[in-house]
Amino acid sequence: MTPTIELNGLEVQLGGRTILHGLTGVLNSRAIGLLGPNGAGKSTLINTLLGFHTPSKGSARVLGIDSHTSGKALRSLVGYMPENDAFISKMSGVRFVRYMAEISGLPSEQAMERAHEAFVYVGLGEARYRPVGTYSLGMKQLAKLAQAIAHGPKVLILDEPTNGMDPPARKRLIELIREIREASDICLLLSSHLLRDVEETCDEVLILRNGQIASICNLVEERRANRKFLELETIGAETTFTSALESLGCECAVFSSGRIKVVMPDSVEIREVFKVAADRGVQIRRMNHRRDSLEDIFLNAMEQTGAADGRL
Amino acid sequence: MAVYKRRYNSYTGSLTPQWSRFFVLTRFAFADLFKSRFFVLLLIFCIIPCLFFAGFIFVANNKTMQLLLQLREMNFFTVENQYFINVVIAQAQAAFLLNCWVGPILISGDLTNGALPLFLSRPFSRADYVLGKLSVLGILLSAITWIPCLLLFSLQAGLARDGWIWSHLWMVVPIIFCSAIWILMLSLISLAVSAWIKLRIVATGIIFVTFFIPAGLGEMFNAIMGTIWGRLLNFTYVFRLIVGHAFREGAVRLSRRGWEEIPIPAAWGALIFVCLLSLVILNARLRARETVRG
Repeated sequence: MTPTIELNGLEVQLGGRTILHGLTGVLNSRAIGLLGPNGAGKSTLINTLLGFHTPSKGSARVLGIDSHTSGKALRSLVGYMPENDAFISKMSGVRFVRYMAEISGLPSEQAMERAHEAFVYVGLGEARYRPVGTYSLGMKQLAKLAQAIAHGPKVLILDEPTNGMDPPARKRLIELIREIREASDICLLLSSHLLRDVEETCDEVLILRNGQIASICNLVEERRANRKFLELETIGAETTFTSALESLGCECAVFSSGRIKVVMPDSVEIREVFKVAADRGVQIRRMNHRRDSLEDIFLNAMEQTGAADGRL
Repeated sequence: MAVYKRRYNSYTGSLTPQWSRFFVLTRFAFADLFKSRFFVLLLIFCIIPCLFFAGFIFVANNKTMQLLLQLREMNFFTVENQYFINVVIAQAQAAFLLNCWVGPILISGDLTNGALPLFLSRPFSRADYVLGKLSVLGILLSAITWIPCLLLFSLQAGLARDGWIWSHLWMVVPIIFCSAIWILMLSLISLAVSAWIKLRIVATGIIFVTFFIPAGLGEMFNAIMGTIWGRLLNFTYVFRLIVGHAFREGAVRLSRRGWEEIPIPAAWGALIFVCLLSLVILNARLRARETVRG
């Protein structure tokens, strides 16, 4: 199967500075999230995948197509929703989307039809004849999504799609993205600062930090592994406590201030943890029963420096 | 993705040929232009001189009309090289006016709100983009320059008979060629200005300045240095020189004005330099993403 995104030692320099440092990795899922703090290189990676930047070393492939040498062929498969404002203010919404669809190669009539459908689909049906310049920020985001999907791309690249949206609008947009993903064989690359956006829409996450891959994490596998764990805040816990838990088959990680993470096998029940604590005079002041969230994965990736292949 | 179903479907229909997509830009730009009444009036105004030129041909070929007008100098109404030089130059000036109105809005509208990445994230290159925008000016300015000139040529050929067309057929080449050079230069300059300046009024002013200020500076340079090379900055003069040369009339006409001519290759060099400079500016500005150096 052709990987969705394949990075082979990708290095990108802009204005004499190296922004992406030899990224190497393979992402196979249909919905990929791109995470990282500001300046991590997310937008540069997206722009390189679109062929806007030329790699100084290495290569990037999307669905097996090289972004540099076959840029036009790749862009014919792509629908792109940029992070910043991108519209023609005096054009009506539906004309703007039709214009973009025609540039993507749709014949005039089909472009018009698809533009109307895309506008109604994203929920801007009533506003489609208004100039895009008069739209609110959230409406502009939806108009950008409409122009990205109107020509029926195989790869949808969304750069910070929920920027500037209020919670209901954000929820609606995330639902739309999920619907699009479910309803077709479209591949999705979503860059966001909001972990929740990525968690709700993506199957695999690429975490960037300082232009390097901090982590590649398959969320589906993580969810399937069902790694439930206990988060304990204790007083008086010593190594004997964790050793006793480990002898039950648990995996323990000790943090400062008596915080302990305990991954429990299915055979062990919580009361056994209480029993071990009582036997050793350890006070359990707080207990959370939870599973690894994307936030944990992200924070772990941010804490780790120079992970060998970036895999958690 | 039918409207009533409100469901996303991918597109499986036919696509237009890739080479023809630049024309989408041209089509949409024309649709926008013809919404403006002022533009339509300006276009009509630019074509009006051709009606007078056509009237001139009619009188030149109608002895009765000439007698009715009681003209003393019967040679006044002759349709030869000089006539077509006048037509080409008059229409070139009309083209300049029209270009000043249309050119500045062609690219700035897309750049103002960052729409360029949307164009370039499709199977559409920067060259396609520039070609699409150039075609707008190319078609529009052609409609008021060489196309009416050729119509006037045909009118004269039809009215003059006596093999006039065969002895003057060579003039078709300079009519098209000189107009094309002027159109290309005007278009590239105005697209380059449009890529830099977002406000139409300022951009129009800059185009005027591009044509008139360097000409004045050139004359100052000539006066101070006692040379003629400053005239290379006077694009109108340079164009006239090329037109006169192309119509085999240049030396006669310009020497009457007491001007020492600059060499034709230098005139060509000046026009080519302006075109290249405009292309460099367009290349620098038309990027999907700006790179901050440092």
